[in-house]
Amino acid sequence: MQSTQKNIKNNNLLININKLNVFFNTPEGLSHVVKDVNFNVKKGTCLGVVGESGSGKTQTFFSITGLLAKNGYAEGEANFKNYNLITCDDEIRRSFLGKSIGFIFQDPMTSLTPHLKIGDQLAEIAIYHKKITKSQALQRAAEVMDVVKLPNNRDIINSYPHELSGGMKQRIMIAISLMCEPDLIIADEPTTALDVTTQAEILNIFNDLKNNLNIGLVLISHNIGVIAETSNDVLVMKNGQILENGNTHEVLTKPKNDYTKHLLSCIPPWIGN
Amino acid sequence: MIKFITKRILIAIPTLLIIIAFSFSMMRVAPGGPFTNERALPPEIEKNIKAAYNLDKPVYEQFYIYMKNIARGDFGPSFKYKDFSVKELILNGLPVSVTLGLSAIIISLFLGSLLGIIAAINRNTIFDYSVMGVSLVGICVPSFVMAPLLSLFFSLYMGILPTSGWNNGNILNLILPITALSLPQIAIISRMMRASTIEVLNSNFIRTAKSKGLNQSYIIRKHVIRASILPIVEYLAPASAGLMTGSIIIEQIFGLPGIGRYFVVGALQRDYTLVSGVLILYASLLILLILITDIVRAILDPRVKI
Repeated sequence: MQSTQKNIKNNNLLININKLNVFFNTPEGLSHVVKDVNFNVKKGTCLGVVGESGSGKTQTFFSITGLLAKNGYAEGEANFKNYNLITCDDEIRRSFLGKSIGFIFQDPMTSLTPHLKIGDQLAEIAIYHKKITKSQALQRAAEVMDVVKLPNNRDIINSYPHELSGGMKQRIMIAISLMCEPDLIIADEPTTALDVTTQAEILNIFNDLKNNLNIGLVLISHNIGVIAETSNDVLVMKNGQILENGNTHEVLTKPKNDYTKHLLSCIPPWIGN
Repeated sequence: MIKFITKRILIAIPTLLIIIAFSFSMMRVAPGGPFTNERALPPEIEKNIKAAYNLDKPVYEQFYIYMKNIARGDFGPSFKYKDFSVKELILNGLPVSVTLGLSAIIISLFLGSLLGIIAAINRNTIFDYSVMGVSLVGICVPSFVMAPLLSLFFSLYMGILPTSGWNNGNILNLILPITALSLPQIAIISRMMRASTIEVLNSNFIRTAKSKGLNQSYIIRKHVIRASILPIVEYLAPASAGLMTGSIIIEQIFGLPGIGRYFVVGALQRDYTLVSGVLILYASLLILLILITDIVRAILDPRVKI
């Protein structure tokens, strides 16, 4: 029974991270910010990554997607569709980025190009990767705007980022990542800059993506409440190391590591249980 | 848009009036007059001349007459270039100065932005260091030093370009003055462009563009340039002012019959009408350029509403 379950899990394997290390060259010398990290992401599930600021959670995923700052470099394996994203050509990694791997950033206010219309920013990714016409791309844009529960109208397509609210911009960011039907979406603190009502709506969208579109989701957050609501598995990171890795329910109810216990004790007692 | 332009033109009228009044009174305050010579004129002749040019009337009346003439498009006769009106002198020199200034500004905008972008993309490489080093020299060496050096090298030593003269706008005659005029601007613009491009390259929306898997040249074309060129557009008006004053010197050095020399000669000889006429022209050009700058800025940046 257990072995069959394991097999199913393996077939669902989307990305496998093995002994990933990230370093930064700084004026003070080499800084080792991610240390021997191993984990998997499966289709249709959400992996939550928690940890305090500077724990290396963002840099782990920047290294996989080649978004590290110029003074940073990574070693190890990130196996995705028969390629190691850490060592493969920039060209190959770029062909996955945006197409098979979507990235959603923390700050929706500054993450959209201010001088391009929303429609262009949605369409360009599909035009670039799928070599389709602009009208086809805009049709696809209408579909994904429906998924992220944005009213599908010309107004949004023809507006500029500064004319939209923060919540709408984050929905647009999610819509952009969905344009090419990705297998994996990495969301780096997607709700941090938003108010609580909008947060809940965005998390609902993530749950839909995972359940309906069978997308593998990585949700980076320092908010345990957000992780508890969406993720199946959770990684607890501190100082570049994974302290705990397992089923979200188990980790949050029966934490083994002292740091996890400490993190959980930071939640006010009147919440949860 | 039309409302904005009409509003700005209406604001320009009082601005011009103040500039005219200011230059008018400054010229009158300056000691001496257009007919002051080392040897004093006989009183009768002086009186006649002054009467002919209305200089015997009280200053406020002179101003009234002058303004009335300007409203009719008559900038008066030149006091020093006999038989020429100020309008004729300006219209003679204008094609030369416009050719020079316009070419210089187009070349410096194009080359400066291009060098700045390439330096920003390849920052901290040999290309970056050499562009920034050369541009520092370009900023420090004034054009009146650069111009004689250029003609010394290219005209006297190499003998490939003429030293001076207009020669009916022959391109060979224009190369040296345009180069001397645009070098400092290329230097300033390339440094500004480098700084703003680096800032844009480090911004969050470029990270988004990278996460979309777009290649670098696409990102530069679509996402970077329009954002990073904004400071350059804002610099357009001060750059043009710099080119106008610069062209006064350059026209002298290369013996070009532009309007710059009328400005200097007119001021020295107290040619009241000529100086005022050139000043009005310069001021109107600048006001027009600032207006164009604002329109271009609004086109490039949708956040600017006009």
